[in-house]
Order: sequence, then C-alpha cells, then structure tokens
Amino acid sequence: MIRHTLTVGWADAPLKHFVDDARLQVAILMHTSGQVLAQVGFQRSLDVQTACALSAAINASAEHLGTMVDGTPFRGLHYAGMERQIYLGQVPSPDALLLVLAVFDSESSLGIVQLYVKELQANIAAAVPSSTDHEPALAENFETDLNRNLAQLFGRG
Amino acid sequence: MNPYPALVATVARHRGVLACLVVMEDDGIVVEAAAQIGVETAAFAALTASLYRKSARAAAAAGFGGVSFCELEAERGRVLAAGRNGLVMVAVAEPKVNLGLLRLELLRAAAGL
Repeated sequence: MIRHTLTVGWADAPLKHFVDDARLQVAILMHTSGQVLAQVGFQRSLDVQTACALSAAINASAEHLGTMVDGTPFRGLHYAGMERQIYLGQVPSPDALLLVLAVFDSESSLGIVQLYVKELQANIAAAVPSSTDHEPALAENFETDLNRNLAQLFGRG
Repeated sequence: MNPYPALVATVARHRGVLACLVVMEDDGIVVEAAAQIGVETAAFAALTASLYRKSARAAAAAGFGGVSFCELEAERGRVLAAGRNGLVMVAVAEPKVNLGLLRLELLRAAAGL
C-alpha cells in the first residue's frame, strides 16, 4: 500500500491556508509519484490514497501527452462536473515538483483557485525544509506498491 | 467576429479607468481585457466575478431578484461590475472618475454581452 501516513507537518499550514482562502472542499498536496504530503477534507485514508494515485497518473499522462503534441508538458488540469470541480496543478518547490489537487463547488471558482495556487506556491517555497534535514521519503518498494495499488483500484489485483 | 474587444475599448477609453475586463461569471476567467500596466487582471477577474456571484445570491436570498450591476468603493479606487448571459463586465477606476458617465457606459456595454 502507499504509505499515506507519511504526511509532513511543514506542508499542513500552507495547504490549510489555501483551502480557507480559496473556499475549497478538499485539497491534497503530493509528490508527482502520488505520495501524499498533506491533505485537508478527506475523512478516510483510502480516499486519500486513491485520489493521490489517480492524480499522479493524470499528471504523468498530461505531461507525456503535452510533450507529444505540443512539445512541452501540459500543466494544470480543470474538470467541471455537475456540482463539483477539480483543479490539478503543479507546485514547484526547491527540492521537487509537487502536485496539488483541489476540489471545489460553486462557493469558489476556477479563477479563484488559480489565484490562490500562486500564493500556495510562494508559501510552499518559503515553508519547505532543506533537503539535507531529512531522509528520502520514498520507501524502497514504493513503485511496486503504487502499481499494485493501481491494479487493485481498477480490479486487476 | 469577436465583439468583446470593442465593448471593452468603449469603457477603457474613459479618463480614470485603469482596467476593463470581460469575465466569465462562474469561472472568474478573463475573456477580454484592457488594462494599464500594474493592474493584475487575473486577480481582479477572479475576485470581482466572485463578488458579483455572491451579490447575486444575496439579492436572490433577500427576494430582490437578479443583479445587473454592483459597485465597490474603496479608499483609492472603485470597481464596477455589470453582468449578462453568464459574463460580467468589470471596470476598475480611480476615485476621481466621472462615475455617472462610467456607470452609464458600463451598463450600455454590458447590454452587448
């Protein structure tokens, strides 16, 4: 399983701030591999794992598709459902590229979310600890776990 | 033919107008804009569309019907917004702007949305 418990404290405050300002229902900050850094709004860890795995897959697909058709990776995805919308954006940090998944309804809007993503990027850049302060967060068998988890999600496990 | 540049230009040409934008009401995304340097159009668009939407909800909750115009007066400027057909026309102006004329022009332009 993905080690969803590996949330790190430094990312909680900027993400909570982002959720409050942009009037979001749910938000997750994660590595591009799908490993969660912080989340606000999810009640069950399985939901977090699922959202992270799918977001990472969407981001990887968009990067490759963008490179293929436009020469540069596509960055940022918005999907509007009947009542809820999602925005998946990239948040560069000094150490790595991060992803943020934001879920919102009519209380917010795409423009508002994009506006506050910029603020989140600045807050994350200011809050991220030095890479020498901690060990690598990924487990040795992370990729295997991720693939197994995705297979289970799609009923192939 | 895209009618929005002409609509925006009729409002933006007035003295004291710093920016004029056509914004999607639901998304807060800029459709067309004319702005002086230093005006952050994306932020204005998102926040003003949100303000307009919430004004409309407040008016509906109070039983006042739909909103067609709203104005925000601040210490160093004014923001005026008029909407139609899911679009909002926003004007950002200095305090010294001829408010009556601007309001008239904005409503006239918004009728073309």
